[in-house]
Amino acid sequence: MISAFLSSWPLFHDTYIAGWLIALLLSLVGVAVVARDQIFIGAAVSHASMLGIAVGMWLASWGESMACEWCGSDALLASCGGLFAILGALITSRSGTHATSETHEAVTGWVYVVSASAAILLLSQSPHGLEEVHRLLSSTIIGATNTDVAAFLLLNVVTLVLLAGFLPTIVLLLMDLEMAGAVGVPVSRWQRGIAIWLGLSVGLSMHVSGMLFTFGCLVLPALIAKNLCREVRHMFWVAPLVALGGSTLGFILANYEDFPPGQVVATLLGLGLAMAWLSKAIRRN
Amino acid sequence: MPEDLPLRSDPELLLSASHLQLGYGRDLVVADCSFEVRRAEFWCLLGSNGAGKTTFLRTVLGLLPIRGGTLWRHPTEASLERIGFVPQRCELNRTLPTTIREFVGLGLVGISTGSSEDRLAAALAWVDLAGLEDRSYWALSGGQRQRALIARALIRDPHILILDEPTTGLDPSSESRLLKGLAQLRQERRIAMIMVTHDLGMARQYATHVALFHRGKVVAGPTASTLTAENLRAVYGQDIDHIHSVGGHD
Repeated sequence: MISAFLSSWPLFHDTYIAGWLIALLLSLVGVAVVARDQIFIGAAVSHASMLGIAVGMWLASWGESMACEWCGSDALLASCGGLFAILGALITSRSGTHATSETHEAVTGWVYVVSASAAILLLSQSPHGLEEVHRLLSSTIIGATNTDVAAFLLLNVVTLVLLAGFLPTIVLLLMDLEMAGAVGVPVSRWQRGIAIWLGLSVGLSMHVSGMLFTFGCLVLPALIAKNLCREVRHMFWVAPLVALGGSTLGFILANYEDFPPGQVVATLLGLGLAMAWLSKAIRRN
Repeated sequence: MPEDLPLRSDPELLLSASHLQLGYGRDLVVADCSFEVRRAEFWCLLGSNGAGKTTFLRTVLGLLPIRGGTLWRHPTEASLERIGFVPQRCELNRTLPTTIREFVGLGLVGISTGSSEDRLAAALAWVDLAGLEDRSYWALSGGQRQRALIARALIRDPHILILDEPTTGLDPSSESRLLKGLAQLRQERRIAMIMVTHDLGMARQYATHVALFHRGKVVAGPTASTLTAENLRAVYGQDIDHIHSVGGHD
């Protein structure tokens, strides 16, 4: 099984490396989502990104008639996906504050429904539109390029540097916003920053790996870590290890059995979470 | 935001509010608030619900802007690094794993210190939680969690301790232990305390000073001369035996 995986390396190394980097990045960002009990935000932001990609495809078809070469590029789709995901994350991050009178769940639900429906409406008349929507929803990381690898490497480095420099502040923000404000942490600025980083990470991941892999790597490793760890700060170590372990095992299995890798990784992480729940229940008893 | 400058001549002075106006959005909650807090003073903020007690605390912490007047904070002795805050309750996500070590240690955010373990041990010892560092926060009783909140404030080695109804939900025995501990802290470490409470008996017993918040105005001064039947009647609208508690929360 391992040798089959190694023999596939020359053909799929960008896919594997991009998959690991996405899993690592999303597992770190996912700790913030899980710690604040805002898991649904991951689904909403993923769909906001899908709407952005749909807008990018619509622009591409419009650009074709205008002879605009850049309009059909991969960079445009990635930019639109990232931008809409950031917007979605910022909208949800403002809910539940004095600025809005609506609950966080309500605004997140609104982002989810509007993004999901508008994306399909926008592409329903396009020749390959619904096919692309299906690709995004079902996840396929095969086809990742070395540009994707470079982009996610950069995002990971920035994330790790921020965590190394501000871990206690970030943990306090995730656990107790009021206390964070009382000790002088600029809470609003941090909230916006976390929302932008979440949107960027999810938006770019959606473009490369699709909904299932993105959402799975965002919430499942962090949820597993939450059930295994005794402290929030330890989740920032355990979640990435789980994500890397799960994705490695998933890629090897998918290659051997000729399954789609995104689905295998998500299923394995889902099973891992069930085992973490079981382990916690046993420890409690 | 509170002003940090200039230095005042009184070395004991930590905080000075002068004709302070506070509020949220367009609503003015406090129209005129003037009093000064010095080291080792124990201030109780009293008044009916919505009178502006918690608003005052949030303004001192820099969480709300000032609408008018001045709020001076000693630039070093009462900087945010030297203020400990104990909220009424901690809105933690109950499914999050955390130990007492992590929870209390988060009080050090914003402080540059090389001796966090020493500070942790000292803070936990003060609240009788020594030796429980590695226990889950969620395994603690209500009273122990309240003491952990106080330890999280004390780990900052504060000169001012701000407490928003810290005895809410505690049984009488835990409440008494907590208040005695605070009084001891005030005397031994000369920490100034500013505590929101509805309990007049508690204020009478422990406070050196009180501030009565009522209809946008604040009457403040030493406990004996301020906690009078006349002032209480003005605040609560009825005769109140000031040695008994008044229920309710802000």
